Amino acid sequence: MKIFFAILLGKLTIFFSRLFNLGNGSTWPGHLAFLINRNFIEDILKKNFQKKIIIISGTNGKTTTVELIKFILGKKGIRVISNEEGANLLNGMASSIIKNCNFFGNFSQEVIVWETDEFNLPLIIKRISPDGVILLNLFRDQLDRYGEVNTIAHRWFNALKEIPNKTKIYLNGDDPQLMFLGKKLKKEKEIYFFGLDQSSMNEKEIPHDADSSFCPICGTKLIYNRIAYSHLGDFFCSRCRFKRETVENFKNKKICYPLSGLFMKYNTHAVILFLMSFFNIEFNFINKNLRLFRPKFGRQEKIKIGRKDGFIFLVKNPASFNQAIKTVIGKEKKEKIDYFLILNDRIPDGRDISWIWDVDFEKLSKAGRIYIAGDRSFEMALRLKYDLIEEKKLTIFNDLKSAINYLSQVRGKRKIYIFPNYSAMLELRKLLVGRKFL
Amino acid sequence: MKLIIGWLYPDLMSTYGDRGNILALKYRSQKRGIEVEIKKISLLEVAEQLKTVDLIFMGGAQDRQQEIVNRDLQKEKGKYLEKLIENKVPSLFVCGAYQFLGDYYLAADGTKIKGLRIFDFYTVNPGLKAKRLIGNIVVKPLIPSIHDKEIIGFENHGGRTYLANSHMAFAKVIKGFGNNGEDLTEGFRYKNIIGTYLHGPILPKNYFLTDYLIKIALEIKYQQDIKLPPLNNEIEERAREQILKNVL
Repeated sequence: MKIFFAILLGKLTIFFSRLFNLGNGSTWPGHLAFLINRNFIEDILKKNFQKKIIIISGTNGKTTTVELIKFILGKKGIRVISNEEGANLLNGMASSIIKNCNFFGNFSQEVIVWETDEFNLPLIIKRISPDGVILLNLFRDQLDRYGEVNTIAHRWFNALKEIPNKTKIYLNGDDPQLMFLGKKLKKEKEIYFFGLDQSSMNEKEIPHDADSSFCPICGTKLIYNRIAYSHLGDFFCSRCRFKRETVENFKNKKICYPLSGLFMKYNTHAVILFLMSFFNIEFNFINKNLRLFRPKFGRQEKIKIGRKDGFIFLVKNPASFNQAIKTVIGKEKKEKIDYFLILNDRIPDGRDISWIWDVDFEKLSKAGRIYIAGDRSFEMALRLKYDLIEEKKLTIFNDLKSAINYLSQVRGKRKIYIFPNYSAMLELRKLLVGRKFL
Repeated sequence: MKLIIGWLYPDLMSTYGDRGNILALKYRSQKRGIEVEIKKISLLEVAEQLKTVDLIFMGGAQDRQQEIVNRDLQKEKGKYLEKLIENKVPSLFVCGAYQFLGDYYLAADGTKIKGLRIFDFYTVNPGLKAKRLIGNIVVKPLIPSIHDKEIIGFENHGGRTYLANSHMAFAKVIKGFGNNGEDLTEGFRYKNIIGTYLHGPILPKNYFLTDYLIKIALEIKYQQDIKLPPLNNEIEERAREQILKNVL
């Protein structure tokens, strides 16, 4: 009965929040369901024990990876439940079930693919014991909320140790922390490593946003044969011989990457390796469908501001910001580019914005105009100033609304690349598309 | 004029955007025609390199990295550092780097990590159950020449530092936790060395502190009074307003 009432309440919440246009109901229904039944998620999954549950975590790329898997499985006729709007805590997961199940708690989708943040991963895999876990990478992110990279890696290890041996675990083998984790678990667990081929690794030295460039075993500085970005690459330790083992890098395959950027290559490789080994889907089928995938929700998403075409790159930490800048510059080699940077410091972003000082803004020196908005717009401007970006290129706003009003009236059709952090992206979409989504 | 900045363990002790401190020192020196050289001194560099620097900076890190650095400091570099500090070379030590300078650090699991014992304070991490001290922080500096402006930063530390004497503090807490969340002291100061929990990074957020460090570094090096020409600080001031409005 408890389940029934929890679902009823959840579904009513969804109904009313849609009716009054309060959002899409991706966290509240679950929140209320847990108030009625603390074990709501365990109970529902017990009822649907034959369904496959996949958990995806890591600092960057979770949402896109979930979407990619869902998209390709859809093409195979396999239906998926996911926490769509990046609502990646337990209440978001519960909400995604409430949306899709009947009043008895049964749902028809065969697979659940949930993303969860780095901090909550241990808690979640303990409660739901997944059939597959994909860990994409581990960078510094929201240190004030999540803690430091080493602490997280340690908690991940302890959690993964306890899951059933039949669970398949997919790890980014180019990330020293995750390679270390996989090696320790390998005896008992089924581990798969994905990574990149050396030809995609072109960084010359370890950049300063790297967190894990020291040997996780003996603390010696790792030597990199090649570097992809941040601390990802082909590494080894000269002292204790810890090294990157063979990773699946699809070296001899021509892959149709759906979005540009190295981070997208990693996500795509994770997806292909997972779909091939977990669902036995053929490579050619996956590859053929990859090119049809369209990004959404702030991940290289196209949006109109006045007459300008805007492209949103969600940037939440040094690794994603640096990669976004690199991707844009690589794409628009000849043209002058306009940028719109939006920096907030609200709770979902992490209150600490010091990470912007680990982003390489020198690369924006050839930019056309740079517009800046958000709660901490002037600190962002200061950041650019100290990287010697000319002040006359900057237009700084106190709030997002006035920035958008201004941009809507700017003449000229030049493209604009928009780099918001999380709450800034939600706000931007709300102002431009009309709905906040959470 | 030329300023040589020694940046200690940039590859290990730089988790919280502390690189911004170097950028601030460099920008505000170069704008005034002062030549700047950044000397990165990490595990592989020899301790003698420290002899040549006019200003020292060292940032914070994760526990694991701090262990590696602590081992290295205990060998030779610590002694050189002590000499520089006695010679009044201005230095800024943030968070983990600050903790090194004291007697010891009592880790969350009860292990006692020996500090460099240059100064009389110690740090205790009360365990994983105790809350980390996290958030925006505003303090009043106790350095006479810059004490009329608040210093802003962001703190994030598990350890609580206790000074033998509260007169040794760098600043007084207005909002936030500071050394331990109890006695309103923040950081530590002796001669021209500053130890502080303030990330943010601290120097870009507080340009007058940056200028203060540049000025005394030049004064010690060239043995003459230095008056730095003023710069346009409009963006710096507006950035301060945005955060102060929310915190105070």
